Amino acid sequence: MMTLRLQIIIGVSILVALLIVIGMVRNRKLELKYALIWLVAGAAILLFDCFPSFMNWLSRKMGIASPVNMLFLLGFLFSLIIIFILTIVVSRLSVRIKDLAQKIALFEKDGKGREDE
Amino acid sequence: MKKIVIIPAYNEEGNIKSTVENIVRFAAGFDYIVINDCSTDQTKKICEENHYNLINLPVNLGIGGAVQTGYKYAVRHNYDIAVQVDGDGQHDPTYLNKMARVLETENLDMVIGSRFIERQGFQSSFVRRIGIVYFSSLIKLLTGHMITDPTSGLRLSGKAVLQQFADEYPKDYPEPESIVAVLKSGKRVKEVPVIMQERQSGISSISVLKSFYYMIKVTLAIIVEKIRK
Repeated sequence: MMTLRLQIIIGVSILVALLIVIGMVRNRKLELKYALIWLVAGAAILLFDCFPSFMNWLSRKMGIASPVNMLFLLGFLFSLIIIFILTIVVSRLSVRIKDLAQKIALFEKDGKGREDE
Repeated sequence: MKKIVIIPAYNEEGNIKSTVENIVRFAAGFDYIVINDCSTDQTKKICEENHYNLINLPVNLGIGGAVQTGYKYAVRHNYDIAVQVDGDGQHDPTYLNKMARVLETENLDMVIGSRFIERQGFQSSFVRRIGIVYFSSLIKLLTGHMITDPTSGLRLSGKAVLQQFADEYPKDYPEPESIVAVLKSGKRVKEVPVIMQERQSGISSISVLKSFYYMIKVTLAIIVEKIRK
């Protein structure tokens, strides 16, 4: 079983984190598209944290000895998913930046060429 | 036949002038374009002072992105043949017209200048040659074609390959990987013997520390290129 104290610590931390994320979306520092996965992860873990009986049941089904370990497992899995999504985004961005840089350079070149004529 | 030399240059202030002048002098019939990959030294200034045909990249893209800019330029300006000559003076421009003739008369898509057919001139260090033989074998295994010098930067391409490279070109260490892409699309590639110089000044873009990363990255890139749709 998870102690009430740990439950409160986890719950409060996640609430604070969620508030920060929402605040950043409001300030437009974070795009909602990329904040979404964080919000879903936070909400899911918060839900498990608030209903320990469900967590106990699920962890027993999954063969995890201590319910709190399932919470950690979940947090870890969400982190991996988020990191993976970021890797995809970085790959896409780097291709786009390369294409843009080349386009700018070629445009600058041909623009100058026309001025010379 | 419109022919162009693509000269990628990153911090080549010591070599760029002689490279361009040698091309103008010894490669008659070839236009050229210098791609300055956001150099931090005097490369840009030297090119502008001498009124070289120059493209300046706004950010550093690395060798692959720089060379690809040249291929895009060649496609835009309707060139039939493009050849890459490194800005460090390793490639002798007198070969360019010979290579172009081979491409035309034998109706090929790509001609590669190889150091290892006649084994003359600068043969690279022993360790690098092991790497080159390894890549050669890997390409032979995967494509069935023998390429003796898969890391050679001296490569002359016809229109079909120009278009292919303008559309897609690897970012770093592009040579072996892009050869596999060309072979895989069924194009005809041939190697001709050339003699290369040791670099005139500056340092090669591949340091000893990076070699390990280089081997693994290029191996994976070649395999990925082979299994791609």
